[in-house]
Amino acid sequence: MIPARFEYSAPETLSEALRLLGSDGEAKVLAGGQSLVPMMKFRLAQPGHLIDLARIPDLNFVAEENGAIRIGAMTTHNQVETSALIREKCPLLAKTAAHIGDVQVRNRGTIGGSVVHADPAADYPAALLAMEAKVKLVSASGERMAGLDEFLVDALTTLLEEGEILTEVHVPLERAGVLTAYRTLVQPASGFAMAGVGVRLGVENGTITFARVALTGVGSKPYRATAVEQALVGQGAGAETFAAAAAHATDGVDALSDMHASAEYRVNLAAVQVRRALEDAAGSA
Amino acid sequence: MKLKGTYAMPAPRDEVWAALLDPAVLARTLPGCKSLQETGPDEYAMQMSLVISSVKGLFEGKVRIMDQQPPESYRIEVEGRGKIGFVNGGGAFLLKDAGDVTDIDYEGEVKVGGMIASVGQRLMDMTSKMMIKRFFTALEDEITERE
Repeated sequence: MIPARFEYSAPETLSEALRLLGSDGEAKVLAGGQSLVPMMKFRLAQPGHLIDLARIPDLNFVAEENGAIRIGAMTTHNQVETSALIREKCPLLAKTAAHIGDVQVRNRGTIGGSVVHADPAADYPAALLAMEAKVKLVSASGERMAGLDEFLVDALTTLLEEGEILTEVHVPLERAGVLTAYRTLVQPASGFAMAGVGVRLGVENGTITFARVALTGVGSKPYRATAVEQALVGQGAGAETFAAAAAHATDGVDALSDMHASAEYRVNLAAVQVRRALEDAAGSA
Repeated sequence: MKLKGTYAMPAPRDEVWAALLDPAVLARTLPGCKSLQETGPDEYAMQMSLVISSVKGLFEGKVRIMDQQPPESYRIEVEGRGKIGFVNGGGAFLLKDAGDVTDIDYEGEVKVGGMIASVGQRLMDMTSKMMIKRFFTALEDEITERE
């Protein structure tokens, strides 16, 4: 349980971090270390050089700007969960953060680290996809924005290029009157979702006018369940609609299979979780 | 772990067959393949560098091709070993004419052991699916570029 030797740097500015990252092909960025460090202890990961972002003050903040909440990459899950601004303006994200791992993980783990690691069962993407969030990627030669849907390429694979650091997550402010819920069933030993669902639901005079549903832990990457959304909009909000729409939870998705949950079980679980999350959201009014 | 699926390759069956059994093509298209050398009739030694997220592992192993029925079917046996674990497996490939494309049906079983299996069990299924997808995509690029 002792990692292989590595060099360690703790730069105090982003530009210095980018310079270090560009100058060493064996370097890896360290955020909260809740995925990387265990892998290093098992010696599955043996980066020659860790660049710790913890001392860069501009990477830990929550701010409102131009109709969105900007969250610094080094903001911990606990900070996201308890931020008054996020709770008020992006409630689904705060609700989701509360479900991640355990207290220790939430105190150390960061939103940037989680998004970049791209674990296909991580909680955040279900909320971030449902909220149509974007990420900001910075390199020595410039910066770019990417929607989370395009950023998550596949399991553990993202758009992030060598020499790039994810610095911010941008989440649009929640629309007036939209109800939200996050629901997950986790595998108890790992705490990872076997099916996690983020839901945003707009209802006017009993009719669903707006729906966003995203799932994690079910396919090889988290995804928006657009077939569920289409089956909801225009229908009356109620148990029958929710159940009928939830049946589309895994349309077009190749469900994962592992020792804890077969693909068949996951398909069924996903539909049940979507239905319950819709009921949770509708009941939260 | 069982792996099964079909990939529709937009090329005639003879071409697909030739590509699938060409060591030079496989060396270029197998994800992470560092080298693939013939060691005997239908036997190859292979070096693979597996890079997934922060995990990096070098595997050395053998590939054996059996029961060739050109241009229709063959079986493959693979064994690999590295510091972070080992992989043993076998599978069958079946090539079917399907209009403009050739359907490649594959079915096999892989055993993964060692540290990578005990720690990464949860991620094994999706990682294998991703590697298979990468392989067929690279193979498709290789076949279609040649024309």
